Amino acid sequence: MTTTTTGTETTATRTPAAPGQPEAVRLEGVGKTFGSGSDAVTALQNVDLAVAPGEFVCLLGASGCGKSTLLNLVAGLDEPTAGTLTRPAGSPSFMFQEAALLPWLTAGRNVELPLQLSGLSRSARRARAAELLTLVRLDGLADKRPHELSGGMRQRVSLARALAAATGPDGTGGGVLLMDEPFAALDAITRDALQGELLRVWRATGTTIVFVTHDVREAVRLAQRVVLLSSRPGTVVGEWAVGDDRDRLHDEITGRLRQVIASHAA
Amino acid sequence: MQPETAPRPAGAPLADDESAAELAGLDALDTPTVRRVPWWRRFLRTGVPPIVAFALFIGVWQVIWASAIVPEFKIPAPLAVWDSFATVVGDGQVLSILWTSISRAFVGFAMALVIAVPLGLLVARVRVVRAAIGPLLSGLQSLPSVAWVPAAVLWFGLTDSTIYFVVLAGSIPSIANGLVSGIDQIPPIFPRVGKVIGASGLATARHILLPAALPGFLAGCKQGWAFSWRSLMAAEIIAAGPLLGIGLGAFLKEGSDFNDMPKVIAAIFLILVVGIGIELLIFRPIERRVLRVRGLAAGV
Repeated sequence: MTTTTTGTETTATRTPAAPGQPEAVRLEGVGKTFGSGSDAVTALQNVDLAVAPGEFVCLLGASGCGKSTLLNLVAGLDEPTAGTLTRPAGSPSFMFQEAALLPWLTAGRNVELPLQLSGLSRSARRARAAELLTLVRLDGLADKRPHELSGGMRQRVSLARALAAATGPDGTGGGVLLMDEPFAALDAITRDALQGELLRVWRATGTTIVFVTHDVREAVRLAQRVVLLSSRPGTVVGEWAVGDDRDRLHDEITGRLRQVIASHAA
Repeated sequence: MQPETAPRPAGAPLADDESAAELAGLDALDTPTVRRVPWWRRFLRTGVPPIVAFALFIGVWQVIWASAIVPEFKIPAPLAVWDSFATVVGDGQVLSILWTSISRAFVGFAMALVIAVPLGLLVARVRVVRAAIGPLLSGLQSLPSVAWVPAAVLWFGLTDSTIYFVVLAGSIPSIANGLVSGIDQIPPIFPRVGKVIGASGLATARHILLPAALPGFLAGCKQGWAFSWRSLMAAEIIAAGPLLGIGLGAFLKEGSDFNDMPKVIAAIFLILVVGIGIELLIFRPIERRVLRVRGLAAGV
C-alpha cells in the first residue's frame, strides 16, 4: 500500500522522460517584480521548477500566488525579472479560462489558424484540423460557429486549437501546453467530463502539460505531479508525485494549502 | 439473474465508449438551440408597422389639407405631390437626377474610405497621432459640413471639387472614428490569443485586429454614408451652377425658386428614399451578416 507522498506512477500509461533527457521547461530562481521603488509588487520569488517532456504537472495555489504570472512567463507573454527560464523551442501554446475562440471564424478555421500562421498548406491544415477536432470528439462540427456550440464544446475547440499550436504540423512530438484554469468557468458535470477528456487526449498525444488550478481535487485527479505555490510572493512550498491513494493525497495537500493560506492572516 | 452491465465501482474510470456517450449527451443537452422565424412572420413583425405608419401619415396629411387651415401653397395635397413625382419619373428626368447625386455620393464615399481607413489606423495604433489629432477628429464630427460650403465655393468655385470637398469633410471623421472605436473595443483576450497561436506584426492585423474591429468599422461606415449623403445634399442646394448639373439638391432648389411646393416635397421624399434605400439595400445586409456570423444579432 502506498503511504508515502512520492507514490509510483500509475495514472500515466506513458512513461515520463528518462533522466538526463532535457526538460521541456526549466525555471531556476525565477522571480518577477512588477513596478519599481516603493510601488514594486513581487509576484514570484525564487521559483525552481523543471517539467519533463510528456509530463503532466499541476500548479496549485490560492489567489495571489502568481500562478497566472508564472504561466505568462513560460508562454513568453512576459519576461522574468530574475533567474533563468528555459523555454521549449517554438512557442508553447496556451489555453485560457474562457475558450477565447475568434467569433468570426468557424470551429474548424479556429483550429486551422495556428497551422496557417506556421505556414502549412491549405489542404494539410484542413486535414490536421479535422483530425484534432475528431480527437476532442467534435468530428463533423468544423463548420459550426463558436456561438452555436455549448461552453464545454467551445473549450474543446480551444483545446484542439492549442494542440494545433503546440504539436508540430505533422502531429508528432510533444510541444508544451499551458492551461490557465481552463475548466473553472464550466459547470461541475461538464468539468468532470472534460477532465476525463483532457487525460485521454494527453495520453494520446504525448503533449507536456502545465496546468494551473486552485482546485485540489482537480489537481490530484489530473496530474502526475502537483506543485503547491505560496502567495505573495509566489514560491514553491511543496511537491507531490501522485500515486495510488488519491484521497489521502488530496487531504494532505489540502491541509498544507490551509496552512499556507492561514499564514497570510497576520 | 445477471444484469447486463455490472454497476461500476465508485471512482473507477469510465470505459472509453461510455465517456464518449456521456460527452455526446452533454453536448446535445447544452448546445444552444436556434429558433428560425419564418419569413412571413418576420415581415409581419418588421415590414408591416412602417407601412401602417406611413399610411397613417398620409391620412393625417390629407385631413390637414382638406380642412384648409393652412394655405395650399404651404401644404399641398398628397395627390399634387404624387403628380409632381409622377411627372419627373414619367419623362425619365428622375434617372439623370438620381444618377448625378448617387454617383457623386458613391465616389465621395469611396474617396472618404481611402483616406479615412489609414487615418483611423494611425490614430488607433500610434499614440502620438492619437494625442495630436484624435480630439480634433471627434470634434469635426459635430461640425455640420454645410459650414464648409461657403469656404469650398471660394476655394474651388462652383465645380464638382466643391461638392466632393464638402462630402469628404462630412464623412471622413465618422468613418475614421468608427474604425478607431472598433479597434479600441477589441476584447484584450483576442490580441493575446493571436500571440499564443503565433501571430505577429502584419499577421496580427490581418487575422486578429481587423476582423475583430469589423463591427465597429461597419457602424462607422454606415454613419459615414449618412453624413456624406447629407453633406452632398447641403452642397447641391447651396452651390448651384451650370457646371454642376442637376442633382437631387438642385432639383429641390429649383422647386423652391419657383414656389413649386409639390416639387419641393417630392424632392425631399426622393432624398429620404435614396438615403433609406442605400442603408437597407447595402449596409443593413452586410452588417446583419457580420453580426449573425458572430452570434451578436439573435433573431434579427
